[in-house]
Formats: sequence, structure tokens, C-alpha cells
Amino acid sequence: MSNVEGKATAITVMSPVWPGARYYLSALFAIARQPWAKPALEKLQTLSFIHYARWTVIPKFPDGDKAESLRYTYLFFESNFNGTWDEYIDAFSEVVPVRMWSIWFSSFGFPGPQPVEPFKRYIRKNEYVANHYWSAYPGASTTQVISAGRVAEAVAELRERAEGLDEKAFEEAYVEMLTKIQNDL
Amino acid sequence: MGDSNVSGQAYSLTVMAPIVSEKVSHLVNYLDDLGSGDQSPLARVGSTHFARWVVMDAPVFEGGHQRRDGWSAPRLLFTSNFDGALDPYLESLRVGLGEDANTIWGHCKDFPGVADAGAFAAWIKRNQIDSSLFYAAYGEMTVEDVLSNLETRRRLTEFAAANQGGSAAGLRDAFLREFSP
Repeated sequence: MSNVEGKATAITVMSPVWPGARYYLSALFAIARQPWAKPALEKLQTLSFIHYARWTVIPKFPDGDKAESLRYTYLFFESNFNGTWDEYIDAFSEVVPVRMWSIWFSSFGFPGPQPVEPFKRYIRKNEYVANHYWSAYPGASTTQVISAGRVAEAVAELRERAEGLDEKAFEEAYVEMLTKIQNDL
Repeated sequence: MGDSNVSGQAYSLTVMAPIVSEKVSHLVNYLDDLGSGDQSPLARVGSTHFARWVVMDAPVFEGGHQRRDGWSAPRLLFTSNFDGALDPYLESLRVGLGEDANTIWGHCKDFPGVADAGAFAAWIKRNQIDSSLFYAAYGEMTVEDVLSNLETRRRLTEFAAANQGGSAAGLRDAFLREFSP
């Protein structure tokens, strides 16, 4: 069992929600998916260590050709991030507490994102540990992936211009490129 | 409105299938013993950024006002964050996982095996749950893009160190040699 693969950590949480909350959650996520609500999701980019995350409202569980209904609807959450579990929960608690509250307040036993210790106990109780976890680039953090994208773009741009530049002009363009992307190296 | 499983070109697949209950411990042992990195069967499914299998015994009981709840059988969760559309991915999953898929999902109810592509894809879809909200920090980048960009970054760092303080003569040609497409 492992929630860790190189720098990447998996978190898998599924929590029961109050009766009726599925309608609230479905509406909340439907709004969050709208283009005009994009800034709300972009707030997650300030948590710069998340590669991918998803929320799923589960009123019924697949069971072959039919579905199995339980007493409650469940809220499923998974994340792929770099760093430790504690750092991740601390950051969620500190940076996006209102969003956390709006998503999980209707879950049974949710203590709120602050203070962080009861919140961590709650997550631990609702968490499932992965039996097998895979990352295609376990050595790279989210920041490194995004930085590498900027570097590759700058290199491709300079490569395209290089043929038309003499050696002096190329050196200037090269130094300019390095200056522009120095924080990404 | 677009597909809620999609962000950029990335797709979030969530599959939760009932396990034939007397076989749970076999499945747990098999998954726990899978190798990591290149030894993982998922290494053979090239467009997968991140994926996991999780055996879920029972839903969480929080106590308090919650009444006990339970499935008729434990669930095997599979999630994947991958490039492109679902159908081609399911085919690469079927081909890439091969016998590992038969062993793993063979513990689940009504799994048809990987021999029949249509039956495999239909079974996965029957057990799929749509994402309500999917966040991808770099949803426009494929796995290939990410690996290539990381390699370019590594090579530029080395190139810059090797050419630090040098003259302009030859720099352009050396750059073009190093970073030719």
C-alpha cells in the first residue's frame, strides 16, 4: 500500500453527506464549472503543489447494469500533489478555508477547516490508502512541470529566430531568454 | 456545458466496481505487490499522468447523527488522469494492462476480460462515475509534453552552465545543435 510515488502523493477521501445535500453539492459544482466561475477554481492555483484534483457527488454506486443506492449520498475527493500530507492539509486549511467549508460543511462529522488538527483527524478517518499509485513523472513537482513548460516555449521561440540572427544578435537574444526564464531553471 | 470529466485536454476517469467479496484479500495482496515506476503495469499505458487502485472495504461511519451504511460488496476504485478522449484511452488501457487487467478486475463482478475490446470498454463505462468538478494545473499538457519539457529544461540548465562566460562565437551553432527539433 502506498500513497506516495516519488514526489507525488495521493489522497483519496469519501465522506457521507447529510440527506438532501446532494442537490446543494451538485448545484455548487455545476456553478463552479461555469466559465464565469473560473476565478474560483483558479484560486487552487495558489496551492501550487496540486497536479490534478477532482470532486464527485455519488448518489448511487455502479453495480453492473444497475446501481446500488445507500442510505446517504457520498462526496468523493481525490488529489495528486507534491509534498507531504500534513503540508497539504495545512495549506488547504490556511489558504482556501471558505471554499473548503462550502464543499464539506454538509458532510457528517466535518469539523471545519480550522483549527487544523480536528480537520486532519476528520480527513484521516474518511481517507482510503491507495493499494497501487502511479505517476508518469514522479521526480517532478507541479511547479517544475509548469516551469519546464515555460522553458521549452522560450527555447522553441529562440530556436525559430536563431537562423535569422548573427552571432552577436543571437548572444543578446540568448541572454535575454535566460534572464526571462531564470526563475524557471 | 462541456464534459465535467474534462479539463483542457485532460480527462478524469473514476471507476468503482463491486468486488466478488471472498476474493478481496487476494486482490489486496496482488495490488500491494505490484512494482512501482517502470515495473508498474500502468507504465505500459503511456498517456496516464497519475492513476491509482484502491480497495474500499466499506463507506466511512462518522457516528453522531449518521446511521450505519454499507455496500453489498466492497468496491475497487480505479482513477486515472490521462490525455485525450475516453475511448482511445480504454483501448490503450486494455492493451497495456493485458493480463494484469484480467487479474485485477477479474476480482470484480461481471468483468468480461480484455479479449473483447468492446466488452471491456462497456464494462468500464458501466462502472464509471462522472466527476462533478475536475481541476488540472496544466490540463493542456500531455504526458509526452511534460516529459519533453522537463528534458528540455534539464538540457538548457546544463547548456547554460557549460557556456557561461564564453564568447558569442559558436554559441548560436551550439544552441541549434543542442536544441534542434
